[in-house]
Amino acid sequence: MRVIRVLAIALTVGLGMGSTAMADGFKDCTKLDKASWKPAGDAEAKAKALGYEVRRSKIEGSCYEVYGVKEGKLYELFYSPEDLSLKHTIAK
Amino acid sequence: MSDRRPADRTVVVWDLPLRLWHWALAACVLAAWFTPTVYDRLHRIVGYGVIGLLVFRLVWGIWGSRYSRFRMIGARLRAAPGYLWNLRRGITGRYIGLNPAGTLMLVALLLSLAVSAITGALSVTVAFFGVWWIEDTHAVASDAVMVLVVLHIVGVVLMGLLQRENLIRAMFTGRKRIRRHS
Repeated sequence: MRVIRVLAIALTVGLGMGSTAMADGFKDCTKLDKASWKPAGDAEAKAKALGYEVRRSKIEGSCYEVYGVKEGKLYELFYSPEDLSLKHTIAK
Repeated sequence: MSDRRPADRTVVVWDLPLRLWHWALAACVLAAWFTPTVYDRLHRIVGYGVIGLLVFRLVWGIWGSRYSRFRMIGARLRAAPGYLWNLRRGITGRYIGLNPAGTLMLVALLLSLAVSAITGALSVTVAFFGVWWIEDTHAVASDAVMVLVVLHIVGVVLMGLLQRENLIRAMFTGRKRIRRHS
């Protein structure tokens, strides 16, 4: 029965840690209200101008996350919806 | 569990490769569980690990020892609905290998893991990067894996209590008791 108790505790602690870990990706770009955000299409256009083949974009926290491919490599670009500045780049 | 009577004998049920496979898979799934997005590199490594382990399991389902083989899966799956229905009255029957509920769990976990791991691997290829349905399928299948893992653990613990046998220990030692009645 000790094994079961240890497993149960480990599972609970693990679940708790997991849910906090998942909230840790890059997601803070602006404090601006969503209503005044620039359109996502503009963020995609900026990525295209940098030479990325844009696959899609989505909202991640308060960022526009643009999926781009460049020279056969995969990138996630995080733009601020406030001024469309590039906040963060992740090479996959 | 100290009610071991001298008349009880133990028998090897889970062969060593199967046990190593089980715990390696558990470690990979647990690691993958906590690493999406943030620890991308580790998440990917354990994901490829899961694919490798699934391939091994298919091979072991054909050439493994008796209780590792997939031979009985069809019959057990057909028995599963009735078996689950009877469980509400605590009737478990006595299976040395996987009972019908366990077989159903095995199949459900293998399938959802395969979908999760393959869509995960595809989502970082140039062809499928940023393809929405690959990402969504990966997310849904991975959530399904987590739910199934929890059900799997709960099921093993409850079945162990009902049958008064430490099934978790059996996955370490590979041995189960044989009794005249259950």
